[in-house]
This record gives sequence, C-alpha cells and structure tokens, in this order.
Amino acid sequence: MISGRLNNGWVIWLSLLLALLLSVAPMPESFGLARPLWLGMFIAYWAITLPHRGGMGAAFFFGLMLDVLSGTLLGQNGLPLILSTFLVLSLQQRLRMFPLLQQSLVLMVILGLGQLVQLWLNTLTGNRPPTLLFLVPVPVSALLWPWVFIALQWARRRFNVY
Amino acid sequence: MRLLVLSVLCVALMVVDARFETLKPLRSQMGLVLTPFYWLADLPVRTWQRATEQLSSSTSLVAENEKLKAEALLMQRRLQKLAMLTEQNVRLRELLNSAALVDDKVIVSELIGLDPNPFTHRILIDKGERDGVFLGQPVLDASGLMGQVVEVMPYAARVLLLTDVTHSIPVQVNRNGLRAIAVGTGSPDYLELRHVAETADIKEGDLLVSSGLGQRFPSGYPVAQVTEVVRGSGQPFLVVRAIPTAMLNRSRYLLLVFSDSRTPEERATAAAQAQESADREAAEAITEPAAPASETQTPAAAPAPDVTAPAGEGRP
Repeated sequence: MISGRLNNGWVIWLSLLLALLLSVAPMPESFGLARPLWLGMFIAYWAITLPHRGGMGAAFFFGLMLDVLSGTLLGQNGLPLILSTFLVLSLQQRLRMFPLLQQSLVLMVILGLGQLVQLWLNTLTGNRPPTLLFLVPVPVSALLWPWVFIALQWARRRFNVY
Repeated sequence: MRLLVLSVLCVALMVVDARFETLKPLRSQMGLVLTPFYWLADLPVRTWQRATEQLSSSTSLVAENEKLKAEALLMQRRLQKLAMLTEQNVRLRELLNSAALVDDKVIVSELIGLDPNPFTHRILIDKGERDGVFLGQPVLDASGLMGQVVEVMPYAARVLLLTDVTHSIPVQVNRNGLRAIAVGTGSPDYLELRHVAETADIKEGDLLVSSGLGQRFPSGYPVAQVTEVVRGSGQPFLVVRAIPTAMLNRSRYLLLVFSDSRTPEERATAAAQAQESADREAAEAITEPAAPASETQTPAAAPAPDVTAPAGEGRP
C-alpha cells in the first residue's frame, strides 16, 4: 500500500487517477483497439522507482476502479494488474538498471502476460475476443513506455517524491 | 504472499460478483463516485463540439436550419397521417377486443461514455436509478432500437448495444411477419439472423421490427434492414445479414422507453386521456407557435417536452 512516511504521496495518487482517466477517455474508433495500458504502465513506473512503497495494493484498488468504470466483473482488471505488478516488483532490481529500451521490452512481456490473463478471464465470462487483436495494446504501451517514464520521472523530481 | 492474498481476493470478488447479488450495492455506490470520471473524460469532446458550434459559419447554420425545417415539415405530414391511422387502429382493436396500443413513455438521455474495451459494444448514458431507469430497459434513438440497459447506477446506466456478441433480439419481418432472432456479431455494422429456414420468405431490403416476444423490447420498433441473404451456402440455415437502423455509433441523444404492463382497460382510458391532452397541446402549439421555438435553443431541450408530454402516467 502507498502509505507511511511518504513524501508528497499525493503525486502518485494523482498520476494513477490520471491513468484511470486516460483508460476510459474517448478515443477515435480506429484507435480503440490500440488503447495503451495506462494503469499498467503508471503502476509499473512507481513499482520500479519506489518498490518499498509496495504497489500491489494500489494495483488492486485501481483495478477495481477500472472494473467499475468499464462494467466488468469486480477483479477482472484487478487480477492482471496485480500479476504484472508482482512481476515488475520481483524484477525491480534489474529493471531499474536497464536502459529505457530494454525496460520497455521487458515490460512488453509482462504486460502481455497480463493481457493473456485478461483473455482467460474474458473467456470464462463469455466475452472471448474473436482475434488476437486484444494484444495490440501491449506493443503500443511498450512504445509509449519511454515517454511515460520520462514524464513521470520529471513529476517525481519536480515534486520530490520518495 | 501479498500476491497470493490479493489474487485470491480478486478471484473471490469475481465469483461473488458473477453469481450473487451481494456486491451490487457496493458497485452502484462506487459507480456514483466514479461517474464524474466519465464526465471529465468526455469534457474535451464536448468542449470541442461547443467550440465548433460557436465557430461554424452562419451559412452552414442557415443550411442546417433549412434542412431541419424541411425535415420537420415531412415529419409533420407523416404525423398528421399517423394520428388518423392511430385512431383507426385503436377503434379496430376495440372492435376486436384486443389490447390497445399505447404510446410508450420515453425520456431523453445523453451519451456520456463509451466502453473502453473495443470488443464489447456498450455505452454509458446520463440517466440512472434516480430517473427511474431499470434493468433491461429498451433504448432507442431517432431511427430505431439501440439496445437495452444492463447496469444501473444512481446517476448513470450502461447500455448493451444490439451489435454486441452477447446480445440477441427477437424480430419479425415487417412485410410478412416472419419471426427470427437477430444476433449481434461484434461488428458495429451488421446483425445476423439465426435459424432462418432455407425456404423462408425473406429478401434484401426487408425491414425487421421488434416482435416483442421476448417480453423485453416493445413490439413494432424498427431494428434493422436486411442487406444480404445467402441461399444454398451448404449450411442448414440461411445466412442473413442486416444493418441496424439505429445509428449505433453516432447517436448522442437516446430515448429510454417505459413500456407499460397494465390491463387493456386501464390502457384504453389512459390512451384516451393522453390523446385528449395531446390534442389540446397540439391546439395550443398551433395558436402560439412562436413562443416555444424561441425558448428552446439546444437540440436536447427541443425533443424532450414533445416526447414526454403525451405519456401521462405511463410508468409501469
């Protein structure tokens, strides 16, 4: 959970709320398939830079929020988010040393695993997507990762979050 | 360890949410908190629309105005005929001693969000439990049926569109009353008819209207138009595709229908009263046509009083 003696913790919450907002923001029909996994990326960033603050709790909480917003079963977005956050946290020591491109490659795998879990849950609830297009957000997110990282890095330095 | 606990919690939540009703209040409360999110997310689009409205040139406004006037004139003409036909229909039905057809009560609502998941066809509207919206309520736009309400929050509701893969609706061909089931395909462009016999009398251009047999949708609303009939495809049934008549991905203002479940007698009296009041209002509208026109500026406000007025106490 994000709590304890956290300096300027509101920045984290605000950024995650922004991610939540972005993940339901209207997009042109043609880009609808490629909606980046904003929440996954933002939570991954905070998990990489501030691992001692946890992040699993936040992943759970925001996953539930996303479920309510998108009308899926409670926990259907939460579970993939928790799993990918767990993977990020367990690879954190290595991930933080990687250059940005390598980070985005690893994240692509992690977020892809999350999407596969999502697919599995969707199949269980009878909403199986007909094609492999559900994986499109993953490379898109990987491409966006360096920019997300830089932006959040700036915010973290600017507001002195640690 | 934490992974295990939270994952188990997630799975438990999913199972409970899927099988039992206990989480529904929690959900609707969270929905209440999160509804402003959709409003916020939709804000840029709305601002943009308002800006284009402000900035659009007067020539295009005049053109649009003329077009709308022409449309209104056409509608008026059809309406005149319709009044006569309705009356005749009611009288004939009285002779046949069958249930009277009454105008369903409708309220207008606005689209406030789309489902972020591209594989489901669901939208969010700005009317909820507080406005009397209920589960399974049919939703229309100006040109046809759009779908039904699948989740109700205090100030918003989620609507499953006809084209979602999990949606089907009983329809009949308007020309000859042939019944079928129209199933969503997951593509926003067309529906498919299931289990139509090879010899069935159905052809391109046929209008499909809701048959009301599923007890969920009111009967007689246009659903789709047949565009493709594939015969002899080697399959046991015909392959029939139809385009929804409602503009599923363009309509911004939707109508929520309250169809009633009253006895025929109650309906008949209510219909008579509604007809009377509608006539009176029409007469008033004719005597002072300038006043309401100047008051209603937004397109949202314009249709609202018209559709809610003749309904009377048509709430189920």
